[in-house]
Amino acid sequence: MRAQATGGGAAMTAILTEETRTETFRRDVADGGVIETSDWMPEEYRRRLIKFIEMHANSEIMGALPEGDWIGRAPSLKRKLALSAKIQDEVGHAQMLYRLVEDLGKPRPQIFADLTSGKSKFHNVFHYPTRSWADVGIIGWLVDGAAIISQSALLRSSYGPYTRVMKRICWEEAFHLKQGEDVCLTLAGGSALQREMLQDALTRWWEPLMMFHGPPTPPEQDGDLAWRIKTKPNDALRQEFLDRYVPQIWELGLTIPDPALKKDVQTGRWRYTEPDWSRLIAVVTGSGPASAQRLGFRRLTYEEGAWLRAVTMNA
Amino acid sequence: MGAFVVFRQEEPGGAFVHCGSVDAPDMELACQYARDIFSRREDAQRLWVAPQEAIREVADGDLLRPALDRTYRLGRGYRVTVEKRRRIKARIAARAEAEQGEAV
Repeated sequence: MRAQATGGGAAMTAILTEETRTETFRRDVADGGVIETSDWMPEEYRRRLIKFIEMHANSEIMGALPEGDWIGRAPSLKRKLALSAKIQDEVGHAQMLYRLVEDLGKPRPQIFADLTSGKSKFHNVFHYPTRSWADVGIIGWLVDGAAIISQSALLRSSYGPYTRVMKRICWEEAFHLKQGEDVCLTLAGGSALQREMLQDALTRWWEPLMMFHGPPTPPEQDGDLAWRIKTKPNDALRQEFLDRYVPQIWELGLTIPDPALKKDVQTGRWRYTEPDWSRLIAVVTGSGPASAQRLGFRRLTYEEGAWLRAVTMNA
Repeated sequence: MGAFVVFRQEEPGGAFVHCGSVDAPDMELACQYARDIFSRREDAQRLWVAPQEAIREVADGDLLRPALDRTYRLGRGYRVTVEKRRRIKARIAARAEAEQGEAV
């Protein structure tokens, strides 16, 4: 109808065609259709894909920093090897994901300019400092655990190249989870001081973890869901996370710092204190406790690496 | 004439798997031959065709499969977690029992 109002002739045909194509595309992805890079796609789909995958890639590369602080302080050679391997994986994930974003039309210098200037975002959990070795355990076990839940749902995304990369990423994340879990279990089975350290880390990380899957946006208002870029609403992912990990955390004798946390036996859903979502916005827009330091470090390494890019890529 | 390598995707969204090669004078005919040879039974979603000289094989065993223990990179390198979890649960249960004993 809008096409008729905007004018006649060739222009109208073009608009009609665009709208018809978009409608067909929308129905196709809703029915489980898979899109490849060379396929025609509506601009909104491309824009959302770029934003979504870019944020994922940024999170992988920024996620290397909080744990990187602990390579030199790992308590044993085995822990040091495992942590280095995990961080190497995260950077590898960023490489794979940035390639997807480039193929969709956003050049890497632009991606990095947007990341280091704070224009594009990365996950809230990477805006926090790591204060003790127990943080490394909690990040591997619970942050990566939360990530695996959203990433597994991406295996059924409508964008084919993303699902293929996610297969590799999910497989590697399974190791991250186990190494983090092993660190946590070692501390939980250790001295009073070690148990205290683990409890302290859990207490500090709980709020960021509850915010990890994002605010409870109603599914019908979530454009990424409509285009099936992601396949599960934020709240469903959080419920899945709580279902899988809360019993395991309690089993270790740890206390979760939310007195309201309880599974409703009637609905089967977890009840909890609603996080302050304005704080999440503040954290991911650069006001997190470690945001400035992390971005500053990323900016510095990007600038310091300029000569190497110039030499190797002739850029 | 030259060799062109063909990769085939069998399911929507699936991986493109190497399935063979064709001999053709140019890319256009290589794509036609790839269709003729590798998708005769509606069993391909898409094909990728690349000049063979564009493909480089990396098969350096010292790099790809070094003779080092790398199980610390694998989930199965952490089976010890099962035993650790069991011991923690036993300790918590024993403590609860002791506390109950004191209360009585």
